[in-house]
Amino acid sequence: MLSARNISMRFGRTLALDRVDFEAAPGQIHALVGENGAGKTTLMNIIAGRLRPDLGGVWLDGAALRRGSAARALRAGIAAVNQSPMLFERFTWEENLALGGFGIAGFDLAAVAARSRALADKLGFTLPAAGGTIEQRSIAERVRLEVLRALSFDPRVLILDEPTGVLAPAELAPFLELLSRLRAEGRVIVLITHKLAEAVAVADRITVLRQGRVVAHTTAAETSESALARLMIGEIDIPRSPSAPAAHAGETALSVEDLALDRDRARVLDSVRFDVRAGEIAGVAGVDGNGQAELVEVIAGARRARRGRVSASSATAIAVIPENRDLDGLILDMPIWENLLLAPALRDRFAPHGWLRRRAALELCRTLLARFRIRAAGPEAPAAALSGGNRQRLEVARAIAAEPRVIVAHNICRGLDLAGAADVHRALVEFAATGGAVLLISSDLDELFALCGRIFVMSRGRVRETEPADREPARLGMLMAGNWQ
Amino acid sequence: MLSAIGKSIAALALACAIIAAVVLALGASPVGVFAALWEGAFGSWYAAADTIVKATPLIFTGLAVSVAFSGSLWNIGADGQLIAGAIAAGAIGPYLGGWPRPAAIILTLCAGAIGGAIWGGICGWLRARRDTNEVISTIMMNFVAAQVLSWVVHGPLIEASGAYPQSMAIAPSARMYMPLEPTRLNPAIVLAIVLAAGCYLLLFHSRAGFELRAMGRNRRAAAFYAIPIARLTIAALALSGALAGIGGAVQVSAITHRLYEKFSPGWGFEAIAVALVARLNPFGIIAAAIFFGALDNGSQAMQRTQGVSPVLVQVIQGLVIMILLAFDTPAWTRIRGGLFARSRDSAPPIEPGAQADA
Repeated sequence: MLSARNISMRFGRTLALDRVDFEAAPGQIHALVGENGAGKTTLMNIIAGRLRPDLGGVWLDGAALRRGSAARALRAGIAAVNQSPMLFERFTWEENLALGGFGIAGFDLAAVAARSRALADKLGFTLPAAGGTIEQRSIAERVRLEVLRALSFDPRVLILDEPTGVLAPAELAPFLELLSRLRAEGRVIVLITHKLAEAVAVADRITVLRQGRVVAHTTAAETSESALARLMIGEIDIPRSPSAPAAHAGETALSVEDLALDRDRARVLDSVRFDVRAGEIAGVAGVDGNGQAELVEVIAGARRARRGRVSASSATAIAVIPENRDLDGLILDMPIWENLLLAPALRDRFAPHGWLRRRAALELCRTLLARFRIRAAGPEAPAAALSGGNRQRLEVARAIAAEPRVIVAHNICRGLDLAGAADVHRALVEFAATGGAVLLISSDLDELFALCGRIFVMSRGRVRETEPADREPARLGMLMAGNWQ
Repeated sequence: MLSAIGKSIAALALACAIIAAVVLALGASPVGVFAALWEGAFGSWYAAADTIVKATPLIFTGLAVSVAFSGSLWNIGADGQLIAGAIAAGAIGPYLGGWPRPAAIILTLCAGAIGGAIWGGICGWLRARRDTNEVISTIMMNFVAAQVLSWVVHGPLIEASGAYPQSMAIAPSARMYMPLEPTRLNPAIVLAIVLAAGCYLLLFHSRAGFELRAMGRNRRAAAFYAIPIARLTIAALALSGALAGIGGAVQVSAITHRLYEKFSPGWGFEAIAVALVARLNPFGIIAAAIFFGALDNGSQAMQRTQGVSPVLVQVIQGLVIMILLAFDTPAWTRIRGGLFARSRDSAPPIEPGAQADA
């Protein structure tokens, strides 16, 4: 029995958790649901010993765990999988796993790799070829590696923070099956999620957090998705995601011609060509790791392609929202208003003669915080103080404020709750309705079907446009796997 | 929250308490030691002026370090850049006899800036275009500068008599104004303060400074958002070198009037401590440099009147730096947060503020 009692945690002026009680029994899957910023991740970090709560403590089978000691928690058998993978970027995946449970006896990388592959086979994951650092791995690959690393400790308690958001549809069913198997082995499984369907489908017990307080303990049998949604959000109605805008083909806003990129002698981008027209939302479907991240990097100018070009009406006409917001999109220890200035167009606007117009930038920042409902202490607060969902909103706000012709967004709603996703979708639809062009790269087919006029499929570095007849999940799944017949 | 200044003062006070204990253990009087330090550093107009003269090169090199460090460019070569600037100033200075004095002084300082900028810029270019670690290249360039200095004072620039390994004296017109004789206090301190203000504006109020700080904190994000990393790297290290080089030229123009071996007692290295104590804040650097200058100046009086070795001053410097760095950790912030939270009986209501997910 895992129990956390009377946990309170304060960050600066914000009370992230307020006297929270949480219990999870072995042989059960316990879902922890709540909006972005409700305190789910903070609670997980306290249970895993990574944060020391201001009040309260954690007990495992009646024994109190030392507060704020990740090493003790791990030794006691509590392993956690992070929402943003915490891997050593400059190490290979074998080296990263060697620092997990497989590497403790000696440091035999070949043995680590073999044991990892055996475990991965059991889970239905595929592991990349040997070599190459984590920097080159897609975010989905990183999450899979994190799950493997956590399981390599053979933990009694496994906490998973939004693990399913980055899994491909084909990986989801085996993953949920894996959770059931781990449950059958008598482990405590804590699943942090905001996907209510998932919680109701796999969890035995469900705890709902709202703004740092527990608002309900319930069981899957007693509740429903809509009841949970009401508990999570309070009395507000869940905004519906808007539907796709009528495609009125304007002029070409972004055109990508014949891009090619190699890495480690593997073809990452292969003759990629497409264009996006003003007023449309064009989608790129695909399993993560098929060249999407590199495509975004080339469009942003952070990586040079071996061949081909990206053209838009001007350099500041493209606003990019990368998928890895903590590493690529934000500077966490800078204030929020300075993070706005990362967008080149906003730098041009607020530093027209080389000097920052600080007051005007702060003013815009305040407006954006209100308009995009970003929960922050103010423009001067560091971006690190924002929750994951609010960071994502900040990036969307920044892209829209830059008044670009094209927004290129990569997995933009990953980790966002229902209200957050709907807000982001509405912002993109409004942007397209006023003549903007959007390229939405996503592994979430529902999102693409809801928003996009044209859908491309990206598979092994190639991008191809689909026919209207392909717009159904099974058919797109085939195309994503690279089967064009 | 303690402000940055508050933390610095608290660290200084804690260091003084530890020093007092050490002095007591040595059998001397802490009050006497601190009084002697104060007396030596600020006890008279002359002493205070000399403290500022000693602090001046540290302000230039401290600014040099802080500009580079703001971009996470670890310039350990301020000493070499200062020497490069001094060499340039010492080389041009003897030939400025025909120039009006303000022009000659400005030319001398400009020569120093250019010499330092080239020295730093080389390391910037190596980093930007050849991906050479700037820590190593800047350290190595210190040795190159010291050897070049040794060569020029033995060879090309040796004084006319050739008796000593030192360069020709610079022309009187190239010598800094000395308005407050017999003290050596001179307008270079004003220049240092103006440049500190300039660095502050550049770092915190200009686009280039923002881009430099952004690059320093997250290079990947900087690349994603079209920040010209290579150009900034070269420019920042060249500017850093120029600031250190001006420090060297000021020393030639105001104090030494010529070059000799072992010209710098390590201003470029002490600058790293100055910049860290000041948390890279340009105005803080002025205060930190004066503090270090005062300790240096006061140590002689302390030895004379209290019989305590001047090495004690280095212990104080080391303690202040270590304590400051210790105060700077998240652990310190957490302690403060914890005390704050526990001082309340019941938790206050949730404010609509940031929720951290660490």
